[in-house]
Amino acid sequence: MGWLSWGSSDDSGPKKTSGGAFEAPTRTTRAKCYESRDAFFECLDRNNILDSIHTKGGRAASAKLCGDLDKDFEKNCAHSWVEYFKKQRVVNYQKEQTIKKLEAEGADVVAPQLPTRN
Amino acid sequence: MATPCHCLAGAARSLRAAPALRGSPLRTSSAARRTFASQHSSSSGLPVRPKTQQSPCTLRKQQPGVQSRGWAWGEGQSRGFSKTAARHKLKTIEEVRARNKGGPFNLTAAVLFVSAGGAMYAYFTYEKERLARKRIAEQTKGMGKPKVGGWFDLMDQDGNKFCSDDMAGQYALVYFGFSHCPDICPDELDKMALMYDKVVEKCGKVLLPIMITCDPARDTPKVLKDYLQEFHPEMIGLTGDYEAIKQTCKAYRVYFSTPPTVKPGQDYLVDHSIYFYLMDPDGDFVEAIGRNFTADQAAKVITDHIKDWQGPLKKKKEW
Repeated sequence: MGWLSWGSSDDSGPKKTSGGAFEAPTRTTRAKCYESRDAFFECLDRNNILDSIHTKGGRAASAKLCGDLDKDFEKNCAHSWVEYFKKQRVVNYQKEQTIKKLEAEGADVVAPQLPTRN
Repeated sequence: MATPCHCLAGAARSLRAAPALRGSPLRTSSAARRTFASQHSSSSGLPVRPKTQQSPCTLRKQQPGVQSRGWAWGEGQSRGFSKTAARHKLKTIEEVRARNKGGPFNLTAAVLFVSAGGAMYAYFTYEKERLARKRIAEQTKGMGKPKVGGWFDLMDQDGNKFCSDDMAGQYALVYFGFSHCPDICPDELDKMALMYDKVVEKCGKVLLPIMITCDPARDTPKVLKDYLQEFHPEMIGLTGDYEAIKQTCKAYRVYFSTPPTVKPGQDYLVDHSIYFYLMDPDGDFVEAIGRNFTADQAAKVITDHIKDWQGPLKKKKEW
């Protein structure tokens, strides 16, 4: 629940409304979030960690090796987004693998566009 | 029997105008009469036997002007044949030779042939595409109640009432999203802004870019106003209460997973369908544009549909 602690002390990242909910993101906050996400994922790639959310081992490894970047990620994005992107990373990887496997078997895969990370 | 009499009267009148040709051979007269009789029967829908049915009418009508009998109007017809033949007659043998020198092929003929062929090809390709588009538009139109889209009563980003009738008379591009959407909606809204600009450039302001929120609890008019301002100033953001949004999503066959009761401060995402729905000025669904379309492709699809539209655009308010 680290995302609650920074709250009002840090004014970068998504702001909260008086009710405590996140404000709707602007173009700038989105860009910032994507940036810290990409930095975190890049670290995961380097350390060969795919899943940083579902498994205990993955969570521990990512906290140990990319902990700072993870904190940045949490700071710059709404909590639901962090979860979404972490899960999406796994799903995208599985999709890619499946497509590769099918293509290796000679199937002509015309997959609908994958959600791109940009 | 009014129609047959009228036709025959017409024939008699034309005969009166050409008294000079009354000496034509008998042969043509019977042929002409056959032609005339067949035309006649096809127009009135009745089987006409010339010999029995013509006589009462013809006699009555012909009497004042021309004193002739049965086959006289054959002469009237034969006049046409002889005249066309005379027009094309070449005077001397030299003329005939000069004309046939190059055979039937010459430059003019070649140019005509190629350009006619090209024009026909272009036309048929165009028609084929137009008909394919029309079929899509017709297919999705449905009988009676539209299958996608329908009545809604929501609020725009300025807090004004906006219902489905406000879309009438213009094409509308409807997108469902929400401001807290992590990555897909912002991309799609950027694309929508591009599409809109491209369409406006080609067709003028005949398209309404509309975004309907799937997350009414967080997307108040104020939030939508700030959010959409970043994408395109012309975009219309619609919100409403949970039930109104639910009804609208149902009408547009949009799946969404917004929880009906949200605690203040709750952080969540909304799953929803990601299509652009193109609606015509009658409020009927035309086509769904998916994520696989680029802004250019989508803009082309839309402009083509707009160009196909026959009815009035923009001004039409009542229906």
